[in-house]
Amino acid sequence: MVRRLVRWHVNFILSCATTGVSPNELAGDRRTDLRDAGKQDTVEKAPAPFLARHEFLIRRLHSLSGLIPVGAYMVVHLTTNASVLNSSATFQRAVYAIHSLGNLLPLVEWTFIFLPILFHAIIGVVIIRGGLPNTGSYKYTNNIRYTLQRATGMIAFLFIMWHVFHMHGWFHFPAWLRVAEPLGGAQFSPYNAASTLGAAMSGLVVPALYAIGVLSCVFHLANGIWTMGITWGVWISPAAQKRADVVCTVIGVGLAVLSMSALGGAMKIDVEEAEAVENRMYEAKLATGELDEASSAHKRADHAAGEEHSSSADASRLHAGAGRAE
Amino acid sequence: MAEEAREGRSSKDHFEVRILRQNGPGQSSYWERHRVKYEHDMNVISVLQRIAAQAETVDGKSVAPVCWDCNCLEEVCGACSMNINGRVRQACSALVDRLLEDNPSEIELQPMTKFPVIRDLMVDRSRMFRGLTRVKGWVPVDSYENMGPGPRQTRATQEVAYPLSECMSCGCCQEACPQYTKIELTRQEGESEEDFSARKNEAFDRGFVGAHAISQAMLFNSNPTGKNAAGERLDALMAEGGIQVCGNAQNCVEVCPKNIPLTTSIARAGRATTLHALKKWFDE
Repeated sequence: MVRRLVRWHVNFILSCATTGVSPNELAGDRRTDLRDAGKQDTVEKAPAPFLARHEFLIRRLHSLSGLIPVGAYMVVHLTTNASVLNSSATFQRAVYAIHSLGNLLPLVEWTFIFLPILFHAIIGVVIIRGGLPNTGSYKYTNNIRYTLQRATGMIAFLFIMWHVFHMHGWFHFPAWLRVAEPLGGAQFSPYNAASTLGAAMSGLVVPALYAIGVLSCVFHLANGIWTMGITWGVWISPAAQKRADVVCTVIGVGLAVLSMSALGGAMKIDVEEAEAVENRMYEAKLATGELDEASSAHKRADHAAGEEHSSSADASRLHAGAGRAE
Repeated sequence: MAEEAREGRSSKDHFEVRILRQNGPGQSSYWERHRVKYEHDMNVISVLQRIAAQAETVDGKSVAPVCWDCNCLEEVCGACSMNINGRVRQACSALVDRLLEDNPSEIELQPMTKFPVIRDLMVDRSRMFRGLTRVKGWVPVDSYENMGPGPRQTRATQEVAYPLSECMSCGCCQEACPQYTKIELTRQEGESEEDFSARKNEAFDRGFVGAHAISQAMLFNSNPTGKNAAGERLDALMAEGGIQVCGNAQNCVEVCPKNIPLTTSIARAGRATTLHALKKWFDE
């Protein structure tokens, strides 16, 4: 059983690795195999490529994963971000709530966020390679949406890869962080949430790239919900599809407003003021015993951990050897 | 309106036709220009007849007549589908007066791009018919005995089914579909016709089945007798190249000359396969 699971997994990764080959070409390869097999008079048939054999299931999982967990996560993410409009402290509280998972957080991140996004993105690339957009000849609205869904999907993939590197860093082990930070990665420190976010959103280029990336994600989700309803057979008649379209447009516009206000809020953060608030909150949490310095060091901004709390800074430096280089 | 269009063109009594030609399967294609004398109420088929009669390009070069496929000449057989001014439609119902209203200088004819060209504007649509075979696009009644009359259809079922039954397998929905990509195989040396056709069918079976076949599967699944094979049809739609390949561009329903509600059929097939998959996983 375990061996079967492992083989399934390996097959899956190998099939994904052949994204350079279109499904038709894959089919072509197999046809050649079969022909040769016929000539050699052997009974053994070459199995169809993994993606082809499980095409229905994989496409439906791809469709589902776009909504749950990826789309649902995105809505939570954008809402959390928008809380910065209330105050830096509100945003910091929301981030503390997320980080209350402690050591479980990376597990939750990888299981429910990173891996589903990678699955959705990689299968998405396979799907894109199987189609041939023709908006030049057929300029119908839904055909343009078909092409946009693929274009925004590709932008979203690139954006999310960069965004997760930029803010989160992808991985948090010290050797990696030593490489990522000088390259502009891992800029976000959860216990100095608003101030590090505000600092990362300075200038115009980064916020502009974020606006393009986030709006692509929003379109991709709103339009994706509409096509998903057809794929699974929820809305069937043209009238029902039109009504669903209205709902999806409302969702899309709503998320666009939410995300752009969050972005605006992030750009307006007064970094020094936010950091003072965050450090007060952190001290209070230390005092109540809700947090301990040892496990907090790598979640604070480097300079914040080093400045005003010399005794705890020493402690965090000690732990930094195990957690993060200063 | 039509009168006006004729007035506008009265200065020249000829128009040009640009045709993408190809001498045989797998060969390279080339453009050729023909000049045709304007006559009242021409359609593209009559234009092609004039071109065949002249067999001469604008430059006065003598050429082999352009080859095309047609049959009923009243838009019910689907044989004369081709790309006319960049859009797929039937040549018989493409009226020259209308085409020249859109583009007074010329008419452009190309073979369909999703099917292998046999010669000039004539293509091999056998993948379409293979698609119908895949989804068992028929009512399975086969017996040595008289089985008596079949179950009665309700009026409601009949009204849903009739528009779907108008499909003439013309290929427009596949031609306009961004997810339906061309599959063209070449016959190998020493390969028999049977072997080649088996190899083609195997390749077709792995490609997208197409909107027309999905719609026909829904038609026969709604038929009181055809229902008996409903599960097999859904299995076919869930196999490789089935309903899941649809990308919801919905061009099929836009270009269908018979106004068949193809996207409604696709969504119905989506629901039916969803339920069928659940049934297969949890009931069996």
